[in-house]
Amino acid sequence: MRGSAPGSIAEIQSLVLNSDRVHVVGLGSKTALHHQTDGAAIVDLAEMSGILEYQPSEYTVTVGAGSPVRDLAAALKQHGQYLPCDPLLPGAASIGGTVACNLAGPRRFRYGGVRDFILGAQLVDGMGRAFRVGGKVVKNAAGFDLSKFLVGSLGRYAIMTELTFKVFPDAPCFRSLRFSYARLEDALSAIYFINQSAYELDALDLIPAAGGWSLLARLAGFEETLPRRVERFAASMERETAPADIDKLPETDDLWDPLADLSGEVLVKVALAPKQIPAFDRMIHAARRRYGVGGNLAWLAADDVEALAAALRKCGLRGLCLRGAVDSPVIGAPADDALAQRVKQVLDPHHKFV
Amino acid sequence: MNQSFLEALQNIFPADRLLTRDVELLPYESDALTAFQTKPAAAVLPENDEEIIETVRLCHQHAVPFVARGSGTSLSGGSLPIADGLIIGLNRLNRIKKLDPQQRIAVVEPGVINLSISEAAQPYGLYYAPDPSSQSICTIGGNIAFNSGGAHCLKYGMTSNHVLGMKVVLADGTVTQFGGESIEGVGIGPDLVGLFVGSEGLFGIALEITLRLMPQPELYRTVLAAYDDLGRAGDAVSMVVASGLLPGAMEIMDRLAIKAAEASVNAGYPDAEALLIVELEGEALQVNAEFEQLHGIIEESGAFEIRVAESEAERARIWKGRKGAFSAVGRLSPDYIVQDGVVPRSRLGEALVEIGALKEKYALDVANVFHAGDGNLHPLILYDGREAGALEKAEALAGEILALCVNLGGSITGEHGIGMEKRDYMPAMFSEEELYIMQALRRAIDPKEIANRGKMFPGGEAPALKQHGMHPLEKAGVISRE
Repeated sequence: MRGSAPGSIAEIQSLVLNSDRVHVVGLGSKTALHHQTDGAAIVDLAEMSGILEYQPSEYTVTVGAGSPVRDLAAALKQHGQYLPCDPLLPGAASIGGTVACNLAGPRRFRYGGVRDFILGAQLVDGMGRAFRVGGKVVKNAAGFDLSKFLVGSLGRYAIMTELTFKVFPDAPCFRSLRFSYARLEDALSAIYFINQSAYELDALDLIPAAGGWSLLARLAGFEETLPRRVERFAASMERETAPADIDKLPETDDLWDPLADLSGEVLVKVALAPKQIPAFDRMIHAARRRYGVGGNLAWLAADDVEALAAALRKCGLRGLCLRGAVDSPVIGAPADDALAQRVKQVLDPHHKFV
Repeated sequence: MNQSFLEALQNIFPADRLLTRDVELLPYESDALTAFQTKPAAAVLPENDEEIIETVRLCHQHAVPFVARGSGTSLSGGSLPIADGLIIGLNRLNRIKKLDPQQRIAVVEPGVINLSISEAAQPYGLYYAPDPSSQSICTIGGNIAFNSGGAHCLKYGMTSNHVLGMKVVLADGTVTQFGGESIEGVGIGPDLVGLFVGSEGLFGIALEITLRLMPQPELYRTVLAAYDDLGRAGDAVSMVVASGLLPGAMEIMDRLAIKAAEASVNAGYPDAEALLIVELEGEALQVNAEFEQLHGIIEESGAFEIRVAESEAERARIWKGRKGAFSAVGRLSPDYIVQDGVVPRSRLGEALVEIGALKEKYALDVANVFHAGDGNLHPLILYDGREAGALEKAEALAGEILALCVNLGGSITGEHGIGMEKRDYMPAMFSEEELYIMQALRRAIDPKEIANRGKMFPGGEAPALKQHGMHPLEKAGVISRE
């Protein structure tokens, strides 16, 4: 899907002002978001890209919203830094799409998600107004925090043209371990043990495996201390959670890609709490799935989207379809959107953004 | 406040929870921005959600402005009453409704004291991370309104980053719920939690809040370094940051602040132009390795004295002077104003030189204590409120510091919020259009502008100036203005 690719804020403003319906696209990696565009004018943000301000010593970076995540990651890496919310689809997504869809990867476990690292944004709203929200410093408490509101907003309230994030120094070395359990309950108990321990994991994912469940854990830090930290963690897990097996795994690219083994008609993200997993999992076990971020996220590949939506409704959960042919990308239980509607009234009163 | 409104309140609240007499209302006339006071028409003390919701609906119906108030520790006048308005005191809603250590969450009412959450979580090896220095008395409701910070914000964020879900009553009486127990918070759909937190009480009242808890670090390592030059302490912070370390806290105090702390709590600090405190936290093996690196950096940074805390007692001693610095400054001067502007970390040195020049220009003393890791300044402007025009002069100096922060690319507030105090400086940071949009949003939620009227936005009626002097709790060392 290609529309006009404006290269300036003024061009975006004029596109918004001269269109009845507007649909925003970054790099188009979440195809499920772009099916129902109702003949809207497509605003492609590919030209609104590039690193605009980056001072490693400030721990902040400002980028064009259409910038590929991989470009940002590469620039940060040169200075030993990273975006700790760990954007999903690092090879294909834009940073604006990452914010609009709120898609964080497994390393979100350590320091937080997209909402925890966004500091500010430059926007064009449905009235064609261009303005800034938030700030460009790591700490700021002035005015309403509309920059956080953008996280998960699916391009329905305003077009992001520029985004500022907090970034952190990255760890030099990583070690991954797999703990195997026969039953889901045992694997969840292991997560609860970790949650109350002082072990600082870089990532923690729960994956169904042949004959049970795997808990994938990663530690990050200095080369000289990692082996001892890994031994200590593994010994304590063995003692407290009685896994059937413990394996040390090589750090391959696929190991921590939550979507690597997920294929199906639709690909869905669900936010849930670990204690909701048992009931939910019984209903959707036909789907290929992985529970990320210590069991706080589910990534699902399903062939029957209606059945999945029904299961979500039953559990009071909502899902965001990333890929697949769906009428609406959001499925499951209805949202209480009283507050969101007020924002819509102000930023996009004519409901231009679809 | 008309009679029919009062009668309707009487139908909700028994006489002992509906305060209208002057003597009963006296404690609500001011908050921790002690220079100002206003008399509210009445105060109510709800004990459950329903009473709050009914009260807000009544206020909306009668267009009576209200201020939701916890312990009244706002430093920006955020909980100052509105003349002829209603105070909704939330301290009685102080239950921790749920503590789930397995999922590391707590569900609390708005009147719960910040520190009591950490105390409840402590047996499970967990704590609630945001630590404003008034944490032994301030409430979560107030923390949410002002997105409160503390000394440990760089690594784990402010209040907003620790709220996962909420049930709120909007200013027009609509009850709405968002987020939940997942660490993802709202997860699907716009982050309404992020929007509500920090709205300074202008959107409504939080009724129930789901918070994220954190595991207590296994080990803290703390170092105190003394410098004969303030700029050198600032350079040391840059060196630490450049090394790739991520300390939990980095704090700097200047000579005047050190002198005050010494006079007050006798922390045994070296006689220096500047002190830097750096603290690392985390898994013991990792922290010890990081500390070795940190120690090397501090040694190279030109410090003339380095003290490493070898025990919990020594760590407490290092922090004692820092934490007591604010109330200590009160010993040097009858009154002071504290600002909390933010500058990019790399421009800290520039900001301090400028503040030094402003100090000369206004012939007032300024003590500097700041969260150096995130560029959050806390200049304390000393004055004597008994001298005619002294407060005005101190405020003019404070205003110049705020303008300086904006000019250097920072913010007029890092953690105290705009409140009543800094509302006239909003145009320095936001364009007319940006302010207009924020005001439109406020009116979309609160068409009658009744929730915390007079805060955040420029203009509005000014509360009366109060007599000089410290807040009684501040004098007692219970709260401090940071």
